[in-house]
This record gives sequence, structure tokens and C-alpha cells, in this order.
Amino acid sequence: MKIDFQQLTQMIQKLKANPYKIYPVKTPHTGKIIEFKVKEGMEVTGPRGKWLEKPGSPLFVLEREKNPKIISSNYNGVVQNIRFEFLNKFVEAFETVLEIKHALTQEEIISEILLSTLFVIKAPETARYIINPELAKQIEKEGLGKVTVKQGSELLTMTFMKRETPIHLRERGTFVIYRLYFKPFEIVPSNAPLIGLCPVEDLPYLERIIQRIKEEWPA
Amino acid sequence: MKDKVLIANRGEIALRIIEACDQLKLDYVALYTKEDEESLHVRLAKKKYRISDYRDMNDILAVADEENCTAIHPGYGFLSENYRFARRVVKRERPLIWIGPSWEAIRDLGNKLYMKRVAHELGIPVIPGTIEPLYNEIDAEFKAEDLLEEAEAQGFKEISFLIKAVAGGGGMGIEEVKTLEEIRPVFRKIRAYAKRLFGEEGVIIEVKIPRFQHLEVQILGSKKGEYVHFGTRNCTIQSPFKQKRIELAPGFCSKYRYAFDPEKIEREIIEYSLKLAKHFNYDSVGTFEWLITPEGKYYLMEVNTRIQVENEISAKISFIKDKPVNLIREQIRVAMGDNLGYTQSDINFRGMSLEFRLIAEDTRRGFVPLSGTINRFQYTPQPWLTMRTHVPQDTPYTIPTQFDPNLALAIIYAENLEDLLQKSKIFLDDIKIEGQTPKGETLLTNIEFLRENLNFIYQFI
Repeated sequence: MKIDFQQLTQMIQKLKANPYKIYPVKTPHTGKIIEFKVKEGMEVTGPRGKWLEKPGSPLFVLEREKNPKIISSNYNGVVQNIRFEFLNKFVEAFETVLEIKHALTQEEIISEILLSTLFVIKAPETARYIINPELAKQIEKEGLGKVTVKQGSELLTMTFMKRETPIHLRERGTFVIYRLYFKPFEIVPSNAPLIGLCPVEDLPYLERIIQRIKEEWPA
Repeated sequence: MKDKVLIANRGEIALRIIEACDQLKLDYVALYTKEDEESLHVRLAKKKYRISDYRDMNDILAVADEENCTAIHPGYGFLSENYRFARRVVKRERPLIWIGPSWEAIRDLGNKLYMKRVAHELGIPVIPGTIEPLYNEIDAEFKAEDLLEEAEAQGFKEISFLIKAVAGGGGMGIEEVKTLEEIRPVFRKIRAYAKRLFGEEGVIIEVKIPRFQHLEVQILGSKKGEYVHFGTRNCTIQSPFKQKRIELAPGFCSKYRYAFDPEKIEREIIEYSLKLAKHFNYDSVGTFEWLITPEGKYYLMEVNTRIQVENEISAKISFIKDKPVNLIREQIRVAMGDNLGYTQSDINFRGMSLEFRLIAEDTRRGFVPLSGTINRFQYTPQPWLTMRTHVPQDTPYTIPTQFDPNLALAIIYAENLEDLLQKSKIFLDDIKIEGQTPKGETLLTNIEFLRENLNFIYQFI
């Protein structure tokens, strides 16, 4: 692996120019929005705790079948574009209610940049994916950047048109699972990144890239 | 108050329910999910709501209340055979009419083992097999040994077994086993699969009937205790995963030779189906599925407590007082408490009907379902052809990947077998389905498979 440091610097500069990502917050299902818990420009936080067991800041209350449900923030950021016209209205599923302007963290910048460096397994179909349970267990125990896979290893299971298909690693060599780019059981569009792998022999290069990003982008 | 129907389903069945509501001059509300936005059922519905999932009971009921609906039509699949949902619909604070059988009938007939036990007690023949769910591989092996003896005593030869998940169906969670040694590993596999997919570990073992025809009886009962049948269908031509591909009505054809009296057997399976329906006070459309062996033995397999995909071929050959039938309309009518307004002697059968299920699948590579975009979907309208599809003909359509890859149903009506085969061939030569997979390859369909299998209709497979 060769590192094009010039290109790397360009990518960092580009991200520095607009270090934000805007996340729309949608209704997970139908219901009536009975209360907004936030105002425009308010700062909110995402879930916290070791297992993300502490929910993020409450955003609004959606009531359905007499059950009020607090929809809370999944990201740190600032609230914008609240659609107050939905207050006390019945809304459909997946309607955008507000947006959160999220400032990218060092970790997210690294993930973003590594997308162009790592060997990325992409979704072959628009489908739901789960990581191989044994690998998931290992990753939970050892963390990302530690667990290795070889040619032929079962990486994922794809649930597609009511059938389950395993996805194996086709590439020769030994790789380290470095990044996961999807959430289990969520629908991933075709060609979106699923897993970022790094050949074992290239690990030192990767460490240098990350070091460089950390210098440019202090935590 | 005028009734208003919430259509809790998608695709072509949603369209057929819309049509039935229009004929009955009932208001309706359709539902859809974000994957289905291009579907014709969304385009053609006058009133519709986006929900999170067709299986989300709370979303369905929330829309029903918001729109002041008085009834829910569940279609087929999804929640249609979920007795808990059916019960909730009729028992909630603002009760709604469930367009389907009573929740008790769904519960009792949907439990295959319980149904089998009751059928057995009523003297209705059922496939030799376990009556209780098995959870333990040692029990499974013992039961299989018992079954083997029983089947040999009944004159079966080259016996093999089917290991099935109790909660399975539609070809999911079922595997064939040829020797007793294989019972334990396959049992473990099916149990694990069932636990993961259905959350219910129970497994049953049945003797596999090597050659058979799959017949089914179409029943309609009303809340007033009236019962009629709309004859039989033959659904023997299926994919290796036991999903139907060609269906015919009636179930037997006088042009074929049988080693038994087909009229007698048809009469008997209809009588037995009605007997079981009456036992459960069945009050809607329902299908009783039977296996017929070449020797003329027959066994009740299962009961489908819903409207079925292939209902329309029965409707095509049935005439009530010489008028055409729409079974979905009849289903809605009886759910609203109407009398049938006719008896069995008012129903006449005339002609033959066939249904093709047009599906994007690779029939040469394990019938894998295919996703992709359909750029051309074209056929010549014919007086003898009814197409049921949610695929638009005027714009490209991307097949959603969360559901079955069914594209269309082609229903053909003819006076006799010769005529039926000729029209079927004309249709298959004429239909054009063209598209691309996400990788840019040609999208395959099962049209060739349907053409080849037209040679095997009404035969024992």
C-alpha cells in the first residue's frame, strides 16, 4: 500500500471546510405529535453509556394507540428546521420532523477517510444485513482493528426477498476488520459500504494515516 | 353508518380489494411502505397512508382510527392469519370488523397439529405423521421409527420423511430425509432455523407422499351458518420450495385418465372440507388443501384461513344464478353480516381456468429471487385474460427487495382443455417482461419454466 499524503491532506481540508453532517429525524411510525421538547438552535446529545443505554436528548413525543413515545436524539448536535406545523397532527411513518446539525468528531473523520483507503465490502443488494454472530462476538470482546478474517470466511448474512444468503470473503489473504459501516437489521442500499477491511501487512501504513489525521484534527 | 375498509396489504391483492370495495360502493383507505411507493396500488388508491411496516399492528390500527374505518381487510400473507391481530381488531375499545374468519377459527385451523388432531377425530384422512410438536432429537428418531412401521403397514414403498417447522409454511422450514440416520442432524437444523425465523422451536415429522396432486377446495361460510363451495383447484405445479406456479380450476380434468373415479374423490374431499368448516363455525372464504395419490388415496394437508392468491380461477368457473362471481366481494359481504342470498344449487360450474404466477427468479439456479428494474412490461389484452399486477406498464419499476418477487398473475378462462392450453400458449408467447438486475445483467423471469410445465398439468408429480 502506498500513501498519497497530498490526497490525504486534500481530503482533510475538504472536511475541515464543512465539518458537519445533517441528520434528518423522522417519525419511526405513524402517530400524533403531541409535544415538541426542543426549540430551534438547541443543543442536543446522542445516546451515552457503555452500551448506549442512556437515551439521547428528548426531541418530540409521538402518540399512537394511546401510547406516548419519546423520540430522542441519536446524535450530538444542534436542532434546526423543526416542522411545528405537525404539532397535534397525525403524521405518516418516515416523515422528517426536524434536523440535527452534527459536528463531525475525530473518530468520524477517520471512518470517512478510511472509506477510500480500506478494502470495503459493499452491499450486493438493497437488503438487511447482520454480521456473522461469531465474528460479532469476537469484535465485541476484542474491538475493531483486532479480529482477522481469511479468504472464505463467512462475514455477513444477507436477508433478501425472504431468503438468507451468507456473504464470504473472496479476496486472497488475511485481513483485519477495521470498520463497520452499517447497523444490523437496517435496510442497506445496494453498493453502500458494509465492512472496511485492512490487509494485515498494511496495518502499519494505516496507523500512519490515522496518526496524520489525528494531528490535523485534534479530538 | 357507511362502512369503510382499511386495506392492510400491498400489491395486486390491495388492488383487487380496492376493486371489490368499488363494486360494493364502500369507501376504503390503502396503506403502503416507503419501499412500495412505485406500486400501482399506491398510485390508484384514492386515499392512502405511509406506514412503517405491513406487519406493524399499531400503525394499521392508528390509521384505521384516524380515518374512522369500520373494517380491516388483511389480504394474504402478513397479518392475515395472525389470530392475535384478528382478536385485537374485534375486541378493542373501538372494535372493527375483521374481513376474514373468526379469530378462534384462525387460531384452531392455523395450528396445523391441532387441526390434524380434530380432523382425525372427525374421521377425515390426514397424512401419517406426528400429532404433537417435537423438541428433542431422540424423540424425533423414535417417532420416525414408529412412522416407518405405520407407513409400511399402509402399503407405502420407498418411504422418506419430511421434517417441518410447526410455525413454517409456504415452503419455509421444511426438508426431506431419506434415512433414519439423517433424522437427527436435519431435525437440529430445522429446529434452529425455526427458532431464528419464527421464534417457535416445535418440529413435526410426516411421511412424504412420493407422487401426488395438490388439490384444494374453496369454501365460503357466512355468519348465519350458511355454507357453499366453489369447487376445487389443482396447484400441483410448484417451485422446489413448494411455492405455487401454475394453478388450475377445476381440480380434476375429464380429459385425463385416473386410476380412480375423480368425480367421487372430488365429491368426498368437498364433503370432508365442509364437515371440518362447519365444526369450526367457519364464517369466511377458506381453502382446504388436499394431497391425492395416484391410487386415489387422499389426505387433508392444511387449511388456509384467508383469501388465497389463486381464488380468482375458482371465481372464473363459478356462476351464481348465471352471474359471474368475485370471491373477495363475497368475503367482504359476509364479514359485514350479509346473508349469502344463494345456496349451493344456485352455483353452476362452467369452463376451465388457469393462473400463471409471473415471477422474477432464476429457475435454473435454485429459483433464487431476483431484484432489479423492469423497463418493459407488456401484453396484449384479451377477452379471456385477466391480469392482476401492481407493476406499472408506463414507467420503469424497481422490484422492492423486502417482499416476494411476484410480478403478476395471469388468469386465463376457456371453455375446455384444448382451448385453455392454446390460450395459455398465446399468452406466454405474447407477454414481454424486460429488465436489468443491479449488476446490469438481464433480469430473468420464470416464463420459460411456465411454458415447459404446461406439459405437466393435471399429472401426478
